[in-house]
Amino acid sequence: MTRTPSRLQVNGRAVELPGLPDEERLLDTLRWRLGMKGTKEGCRSGACGACTVLVDGESTLSCLTLTREVEGRAVTTIEIGPEDPVVARVRSAFAVAGALQCGYCTPGFVMSLAGLLRERGAAASREELLEALGGNLCRCTGYASILRAVDRLRSEGP
Amino acid sequence: MTTPTSRSRPDGEVKLHGAALYGTDLDVPGMLWGALVPSPVAHGTIRSIDLSAARALPGVTAVGAEDLDRLLPFGARDEERPLFPRGEVIYHHQPLAAVAAPTLAEAVRAAREVRVAVDPLPIVSDLESVFPEWPGSGAANSPHVAAHVHARHGDVEGEFSRADRVVQEVYRTASVHQVALEPHACLAEVQDGRWYVRTSTQTPFGVREDLAVLLGVPESSIVVRGTWVGGGFGGKGAPLLEPYALLLARASGRPVRLALGYREEFQLGRTTLPAVVRMETAVTGGRIRARRVRLLLDVGTSLPGRDFATGYSIGFLLGPYATATFEIEGYAVRTNKPPFGPHRAPLAPQCAFVVESHLDHVARESGEDPEEFRARHIWTEGDTTPLGQTVGPFGLGAALERARETAKRWRREAPPGHGVGVGVGFWSTSTGAGGEVRLRLTASEVVIEQGEREIGSGSVLVGLPAVAARSLGVPRERVRVDYSDTSTAPFDSGVFGSRTVGAMGRAIEEASLQLLAVLGKRLAGGAPATLREADGRLLAASGGHEAPVADLLTPEERTTGGMVAGGRHFGPPGTLDEHRVVDGTFYAYRDFTGAAHVAEVSVDRETGSVRVERYAAFHDIGVVIDPAAARAQVEGGVAMGLGTALTEEAIWSDAGELENAGLKDYRIPTLGEVPPVEVDFLEGFPGAGPFGAKGLGEPPMIPVPAAVALAVREACGAHATELPLSAERVARALKLL
Repeated sequence: MTRTPSRLQVNGRAVELPGLPDEERLLDTLRWRLGMKGTKEGCRSGACGACTVLVDGESTLSCLTLTREVEGRAVTTIEIGPEDPVVARVRSAFAVAGALQCGYCTPGFVMSLAGLLRERGAAASREELLEALGGNLCRCTGYASILRAVDRLRSEGP
Repeated sequence: MTTPTSRSRPDGEVKLHGAALYGTDLDVPGMLWGALVPSPVAHGTIRSIDLSAARALPGVTAVGAEDLDRLLPFGARDEERPLFPRGEVIYHHQPLAAVAAPTLAEAVRAAREVRVAVDPLPIVSDLESVFPEWPGSGAANSPHVAAHVHARHGDVEGEFSRADRVVQEVYRTASVHQVALEPHACLAEVQDGRWYVRTSTQTPFGVREDLAVLLGVPESSIVVRGTWVGGGFGGKGAPLLEPYALLLARASGRPVRLALGYREEFQLGRTTLPAVVRMETAVTGGRIRARRVRLLLDVGTSLPGRDFATGYSIGFLLGPYATATFEIEGYAVRTNKPPFGPHRAPLAPQCAFVVESHLDHVARESGEDPEEFRARHIWTEGDTTPLGQTVGPFGLGAALERARETAKRWRREAPPGHGVGVGVGFWSTSTGAGGEVRLRLTASEVVIEQGEREIGSGSVLVGLPAVAARSLGVPRERVRVDYSDTSTAPFDSGVFGSRTVGAMGRAIEEASLQLLAVLGKRLAGGAPATLREADGRLLAASGGHEAPVADLLTPEERTTGGMVAGGRHFGPPGTLDEHRVVDGTFYAYRDFTGAAHVAEVSVDRETGSVRVERYAAFHDIGVVIDPAAARAQVEGGVAMGLGTALTEEAIWSDAGELENAGLKDYRIPTLGEVPPVEVDFLEGFPGAGPFGAKGLGEPPMIPVPAAVALAVREACGAHATELPLSAERVARALKLL
């Protein structure tokens, strides 16, 4: 039995995934099949949030997602360029606030916030933004500088 | 549009675009994936380890103890630390063999195909089961004791017998894991008789040194290159996976990647293990007259004689309070757990929790105001420590004053049911760990040539350029940090122990002075030059002359990449009064530094759960090198300390198995659990670092469990004598009231 190759949109680019095993996780597809290492592998069990990406704009744990489940959909990762204004805005807030240290959790935090901002836009409250980060762990910053980045995002508006 | 780069984080750009490559991201064409074969039990006799089924799988390379002589050319290996055990396994998941295969799935399958037959032996898991009645005389010679330290001074028995009051307590602290979000990972290649490894490490040169011993090959044949490090916290110092990856690379002739899954990270990572402390204090006339301190420290399967953990950490139980008469004794107890490892301020937060909680209790029992009582005894400059060391410039008293003012205000403002606690702790910059740095001055920039990688704290990428910029008088944007591997970088001891900015910074200062002196001579034959930047060029001035650096470089320098100066740093350790040492090795401190923290907590009296409502941290820092990075260090350290204080506990079963090897069961603080932290620094108590700086890596974590525990006591009366202060433990302490 032959199947048509799986397809994904990754950061606006169409990619074909010939021979994709049913059990392959999106995290592994991105990192090892497509060589995109920006999405980080942490606990691999949905507890740390380091692997968060957007699927059709919604923040998603790529370690718990089978690539087959998201066939044909649009995946956005931390490697997305300036064409994504929401991610660019979050990045900018993090840079100005110095909201990173070792940086391993950073892609996950950025994508979680980008997901919420895409969904809620300027209406996003501080509480909603913090809730969006509830699944992201950071061991270095104590979250303080990340909260300053969140406040910067809110004060700057869209 | 480019991302605006914060001056405080020059690595923001690369990390915010997902372009920073960590150990876990390593990947080269033709590479194999490695996996370790773990021991199924914590203690047992190896009957057989059969690799044949694994080797029969296509593309699989497997190595075990029998292969070491063939793979390692000189055979002069560390007999005390065999890479694979031969007769006995001594901890759960101890690597018994290693395999490599074209994919991770195939490697995992091959590891499962290794047939392991081990006859279980009785194990020691619980530290306290070894000496149920506490170690008696002669215990130091027990095979269960890996190290013994003992010191005393003065008429201990006399002071205790004459005391107004003697207070005795026992404290217990839990095993904690570093929980860097990036698990250990490396990639190895063996080519032309050289052993290359890229790895996520805090100490590239330390890894090289240890690999040379473990593999029995000369250091000069090993090349270690660091990657971005996804958090270290002490856990990425000594090599863990590197020797196995190199063996597999040698056996297969291919590059081999070896990384731990997160579960394995918990199982094999070098945790700080449990400790039990007995404290006895004699008080007469409102003064501490004598202290007796005894420590039992679980060191797992650490090597005998490797008593640094005991001899260094135990000193934190004696300070930072004046105690003329004392006796202290510590035992490093072997159990069937992985070797003990450093964890941001090894055992100092636990010791501070014990000392602060105990002296608070002593004061209450003696009818004294607890904070006043502690403040009365705190070390100040010129004091002699129990081990006979003289305390240098020390801002802890000043920090404590600030903390007490804050606590006073918070107590007025706090709603009923809240409690406020003040805790202090001290630290010392890593003793005697030296290093070198090279500075390269070109027409337009200064390059810091060195081998350390940024582990997140900012010490390498923020601290070192800040020191160079200040020493040379150039803008920070004109200073670049270069990373080399251990074959070309000047030697340095590593990023640990709050030493980086202090030690490497001094080397940079020294190299900077040389550069300025040479420029000054070339300009006017006189005084050292000053530098400034104009239109992207560096200009040097001296004796009324100014010229572009470009014009001052010799023809040789112009063709060899600039003017180079080296600096080195070695901090001679302080001295102890050896007459006070009875047995074992104690370590002198260097650059006394300290912090006083204030916590306000609320306690749910039904469940015992503790919420930290607000927090303030006052740090003796010598001089602030970079305000944003310093503040970030304190904020992060406080959060990590809150984990040790409230939730973090690696639970080892009676079978020596780690029961909560995952982030769902081993809980680190989440965003909603960390309160805002007020941070302030006390300058004016200079250390040995550049411009009088002191280290700030460990100190922010040290007073946290103490401050939280004392706040809990004030909030609800519960006197917790065990870490962490989990809801269950606080509820239990509440029942005792």
